[in-house]
Amino acid sequence: MRDQNAKQNDAMRSDGRILECRGIERSFGGLKALKSVDIHVDRGEIFGLVGPNGSGKTTMVNVVTGFYPPNAGSVQLFGQDITGMKPNRVARMGVARTFQNLALFRGMSVLDNILLGRHVHMKPGALPSLFYWLWGAREEIAHRRAAEDIIDFMQLQDIRDEPVEVIPMGLQKRVELARALVAEPRFLILDEPMAGMNQEEKEYIARFILDARDERNVSILLIEHHMDVVTAICDRIVVLSYGEIIAQGEPKAAIADPQVITAYLGERAAARVLQANGGAP
Amino acid sequence: MFYRRAGIRFTRYRDERQIWPLPLDRRLMLLVLLLALAAPYLLDRLYLVGYLLPWLIWATAALGLNLLMGTAGQVHLGYGAVIGMGAYGSVHLVRAGAPLELAMLAGGLISAAVGIVFGAAALRVKGLYLAMATLAMQYIVDFVISHVPFISGGSQATITVPPVRFLGIPIVGDAAVYYMALGVCIVVTLFMLNVRRTAFGRALAAVREKDYAAEVIGVDTFRFKLLAFWVSSFIGGVVGSVLAVCYLRSISPDQFHIELSIQLVAMVIVGGMGSVLGSFFGAALILFAPIVLNNLIGFMADSMDMQISTDLRAHVPLMLYGGLIVGFLLWEPLGLAKIYNNMRNYFLVWPFRHAQR
Ligand SMILES: Nc1ncnc2c1ncn2[C@@H]1O[C@H](COP(=O)(O)OP(=O)(O)O)[C@@H](O)[C@H]1O
Ligand SMILES: [Mg+2]
Repeated sequence: MRDQNAKQNDAMRSDGRILECRGIERSFGGLKALKSVDIHVDRGEIFGLVGPNGSGKTTMVNVVTGFYPPNAGSVQLFGQDITGMKPNRVARMGVARTFQNLALFRGMSVLDNILLGRHVHMKPGALPSLFYWLWGAREEIAHRRAAEDIIDFMQLQDIRDEPVEVIPMGLQKRVELARALVAEPRFLILDEPMAGMNQEEKEYIARFILDARDERNVSILLIEHHMDVVTAICDRIVVLSYGEIIAQGEPKAAIADPQVITAYLGERAAARVLQANGGAP
Repeated sequence: MFYRRAGIRFTRYRDERQIWPLPLDRRLMLLVLLLALAAPYLLDRLYLVGYLLPWLIWATAALGLNLLMGTAGQVHLGYGAVIGMGAYGSVHLVRAGAPLELAMLAGGLISAAVGIVFGAAALRVKGLYLAMATLAMQYIVDFVISHVPFISGGSQATITVPPVRFLGIPIVGDAAVYYMALGVCIVVTLFMLNVRRTAFGRALAAVREKDYAAEVIGVDTFRFKLLAFWVSSFIGGVVGSVLAVCYLRSISPDQFHIELSIQLVAMVIVGGMGSVLGSFFGAALILFAPIVLNNLIGFMADSMDMQISTDLRAHVPLMLYGGLIVGFLLWEPLGLAKIYNNMRNYFLVWPFRHAQR
């Protein structure tokens, strides 16, 4: 295990950068959703991307994963330039992500959804299906083991055969996380994985995120609204507002920045808060 | 009742992923298979050649189209042309002296090759536009077949096929043709059943359900759509060669017009998108409903001494048939297979309805 990690580390650049985005710009029509944003994610880090609704967080992730090629700027992944690369190629490089609005495959069982996460490691084609008994079965079963590992890890045993659309929202989010993790990514991007969850469910997910980083050596980019979670599990954050970085660094310090409070609460309310706390919340 | 799920537990992944995990389903399928094998000895020639054989052939074609429409979610309004290309390709090869095995393979490859060229162009667009693009393919292929004398021998011409052998067995007589069609049908059916439980089928379903989510897990959506076109067209081509070389023993351009494509689409929709069993149901309904309706109306006219004009008599079955398809689209878009499944699920746990899922 240790050996394998060492090898993987060597394969990466010496400074251990997972992601390096420079001067990313992206606009939709006249709207500038991202205005020259620089972010980076280091290996083994849980990096938080924070900001009010519409500040460009999801757009940033879409730029990284290849859905929206940037209008300007460059994206480097594992030391390789991937600007404008197709999403499926980015995924093959070892990036997995979840969506803010779930993107599970309806009509399929939880297990099949998770098995789909193994796609990058499989060789799907018509011939393995035609010669299932000679060829396809062995591959299916090998990957079933990996899927069952994740099902245990994410505690989804009871619902593995349920159609994915009938289970509650919180569990669906967990299934999506499982589908991302089963691909054994090196870099995991989570877009508001706790949206609409209660405290207990949030704690579960936070635990899974920490475990994924510690036990599975995944570096993580986390978009999150819940500040308690962000300060508890992120190593470093960047705060976006209207497509610009307004604060970054250690989570507690960054979200206490007057500009951040203003961005979240608006000018007047922010002024009141800052005054009440004597300028140091 | 007959179906029971209780007490069946699997200890190996392989067992759980069987095509028919329930023993009763397996026994039922074995019975169907035995009946299918014994059919030439059990059935009258009229039923064998007039009903069962076309049913097998068109069900196989519906399976091929269902891979594309049901599993991968891509409309194809030119599948009749796909079948036609395979049919003409293999007929010419057989006439040139090629063995049937090779001609079938080549028929499939011709359809797949032309199909994928159109597919690559058509797949740049989605939904309605894809439908239009495949429709264009239907008309272009139709035109080329009937206007190139080298292929069709002229737009009115019928080309006949010399006797053929398959693996050394002469395909002459009803039984041999029937077993030929049955063999192809079984292979395609098993393939389709396996697709559903392997990574290939999951990837196609992912492309159908949410293309962006498919991309993010590493599925090259364009490539898999093309692959679906390829495989589906290949099956169409093989069916075409069985149809023309073995069953009809002659071929003319008017067999592969748009009407055929529409009928095939109707089979898939009425039977059930993405359902293997549904393709058989759908083919049966589309093939036999007009005949049954026609007989019914004839019977009613005669027995009740009604004066139905021949004109009306010719059109009423067609109208009812159209109504049937609209009815399915409205009330059971998942087709006959879904109706069958609902009944089966009901009996699986009867009388404990709460245990249904
Ligand atoms: N596909 C799109 N087309 C047009 N505008 C978009 C699109 N995606 C995002 N936007 C706009 O870009 C801005 C940033 O959106 P987004 O990245 O989703 O914000 P966040 O995820 O931080 O809430 C918003 O104003 C949004 O309306
Ligand atoms: Mg967002």
